[in-house]
Amino acid sequence: MLRDIIKKEIQDTIMSPRFVFTFLLCTILILLAVYTGINNYQAELKEHSAAIALNKKNLESQQGYQQLAGLGTKVNRKPQVLSTIVSGVWEAVGRVATVNIAFDPNMAESKYSSNPIFAVFGPLDLSFIVKIVLSLFAILFTYDAIVGEKERGTLKLALSNKVPRDRLILGKAIGGFISLLIPLVIPVVIGMLLLMVYPNISLTGEDWIRILLILFVFLLYLSVFFTLGLFVSARTSRSSTSFLLLLFIWVTFVTVIPKAAVMIAGQIKPIPSVHEITAQKDAYLQEIQKEAFAARTEYFKNNPAPSRDEAEARKKWEEDIRKWAEDLQQELTSKIDERNASIERDYQAKMQQQQRLAVNLSRISPTSAMMFGAMSLARTGVNEHERFLSSVRMYKPIFTKWINEKMMQGNIFGDQPEKPDLSNMPQHEFIPEGLGDSFKRVLPDVILMIFLIILFFVGAYVSFLRYDVR
Amino acid sequence: MLETKDLTKQYEDGLLALDHLSLKVDPGEIFCMFGANGAGKTTAINLLLGFILPTEGTAIIEGVDVVQEPLRSKEYISYVSENVMLYGNFSAFQNLDYFSKLAGKRNLRKSDYAEVMERVGLQKEAHDMRIKNYSKGMRQKLGIAVAILKDAPNLILDEPTSGLDPKSGQEFLELLLELKEKGKTIFISSHDIFRAKYIADRVGFMRQGQLVMMKTSGELRGEDLNELYLQYMHKHANEE
Repeated sequence: MLRDIIKKEIQDTIMSPRFVFTFLLCTILILLAVYTGINNYQAELKEHSAAIALNKKNLESQQGYQQLAGLGTKVNRKPQVLSTIVSGVWEAVGRVATVNIAFDPNMAESKYSSNPIFAVFGPLDLSFIVKIVLSLFAILFTYDAIVGEKERGTLKLALSNKVPRDRLILGKAIGGFISLLIPLVIPVVIGMLLLMVYPNISLTGEDWIRILLILFVFLLYLSVFFTLGLFVSARTSRSSTSFLLLLFIWVTFVTVIPKAAVMIAGQIKPIPSVHEITAQKDAYLQEIQKEAFAARTEYFKNNPAPSRDEAEARKKWEEDIRKWAEDLQQELTSKIDERNASIERDYQAKMQQQQRLAVNLSRISPTSAMMFGAMSLARTGVNEHERFLSSVRMYKPIFTKWINEKMMQGNIFGDQPEKPDLSNMPQHEFIPEGLGDSFKRVLPDVILMIFLIILFFVGAYVSFLRYDVR
Repeated sequence: MLETKDLTKQYEDGLLALDHLSLKVDPGEIFCMFGANGAGKTTAINLLLGFILPTEGTAIIEGVDVVQEPLRSKEYISYVSENVMLYGNFSAFQNLDYFSKLAGKRNLRKSDYAEVMERVGLQKEAHDMRIKNYSKGMRQKLGIAVAILKDAPNLILDEPTSGLDPKSGQEFLELLLELKEKGKTIFISSHDIFRAKYIADRVGFMRQGQLVMMKTSGELRGEDLNELYLQYMHKHANEE
């Protein structure tokens, strides 16, 4: 009997106009989203290669280590291949960081900053389609699952037979869910095939596992709205009421809660602005510069230059100055780095507290849970961005130490500067987050969505057992 | 056999929808229940089908208490509702197939469905049509076909002739008489006094949840049922 109910549910849905509409729209949107994602990724990859080449050219064109120290080197973020399906925050944050001896590195030149029109509507990726369009379809498929049959009179007719109510609701749930999946599976499979065949898209085994996990997260998200639809349908006596109520809940979950959570977190745990932080760092830099000037004055006062006739003494004096200058430079740079690191740690700690609060508040909404989960798995979320930025900041003292050594070894007395030898320049390295760590990060979101699915389904089940079919 | 003993339904707001209905309909008997809207006819049917629970009393179908064994009692009932809608995207065949399977009839073939549909007066051209293209009368006939296919010993029909043209209505009456001859217990709730006179073995009048009058077909012979109905309703209104 359960099989008959499931079969009927699938057949009834497939033969309905809403299914045809859903199928067509899903196919178009999903394929468009994957295609757009692939094109964006390829464009980003091209830009990344060009940026690396340009950086190398700029470094090689510097005439001395002094100029190189001022210019610094650029660390370019390599685009994530899974940004083809979940673009996450990476279009909003910068793609390149400048590492020099003067300033703390920060990510700059985001896609939005270079072309603000993209910020108006955001990217059209698969996560967006799932978040907005497919969740609405889940509601469209379920808002009248119970109440619609009551209005049609078919529920009464079905229950005038020896059909246990729990069998009926279970059959409707399974059949309805399969019907919802059908218009998704085919375009998603085609989309994944596109990923496989497109040139310059190279997916490792781990990437495929991540894709499967992302699709699983999407499935859970749609299941939340599906079971919610069943629940509300089993609590109302009119399908119009059910639809309106579900629409209200959808708006709240998808748009209001995520945005409100960030605002509320900002009020509860405020953080200093970027300008305040920069001002703090600038103020300290000025102090250090004064200290350097004072130390230099003191040194030359205590170590006057021998006359040019005393060649040996002069040579030794120059060597001593070189060594002193190098040591002073290292000491002051360390002080700046340490102070900046301290300011940065304090800022990061506050920011992370605020972020954690915003994330936890927003997790009331399954939309947030889905987005965090998908972004973690695609490595396009806030966490991966922070890891990358952290790696750049850890690289800065390594680069600074190297450039200071080179500058001090060079001629500081105004003769022809030495052209930089870049062969032994330390390179920035970044290891993306491993699958295990990503999975641990996504687990709370998965558990939350499973909890909601169970909650709503049990609600639908219990409500239907007592449902007035008249 | 279909029986109620002091069957009562009072809602939480105090409304007494059915007031101690005691009634027995035997196999091979057609019982018609009349009454104004809100008189308690549909409440009686909902209690017999187990869609609502009684406040007092019992409803018994083929000796099975509807409250104690709700699922088992439904084995013995075929039901035709007032507005038969069915699944609009399905054809007649598909609807019959689904409801037959729910009724436990798993071995029926397309020819069985076709035969029943012809019996209720549905033309061959309509068998593969989607129900959303059916008229009200055609849907009513299909609802009756669903009930016939279940082949339960008791038939409960709620306004079964509403929406039927005179010819179809007459065919339907003949069908009911056939079923009666086969020993089915038939309980009809109706406003169609004219047709009821020809088929009912007994009629009952409901008013404000009470069965205020019952007459056999013998007692009805020679009496104008319509006049009797109006007179009884009017008389009781005056008494109040």
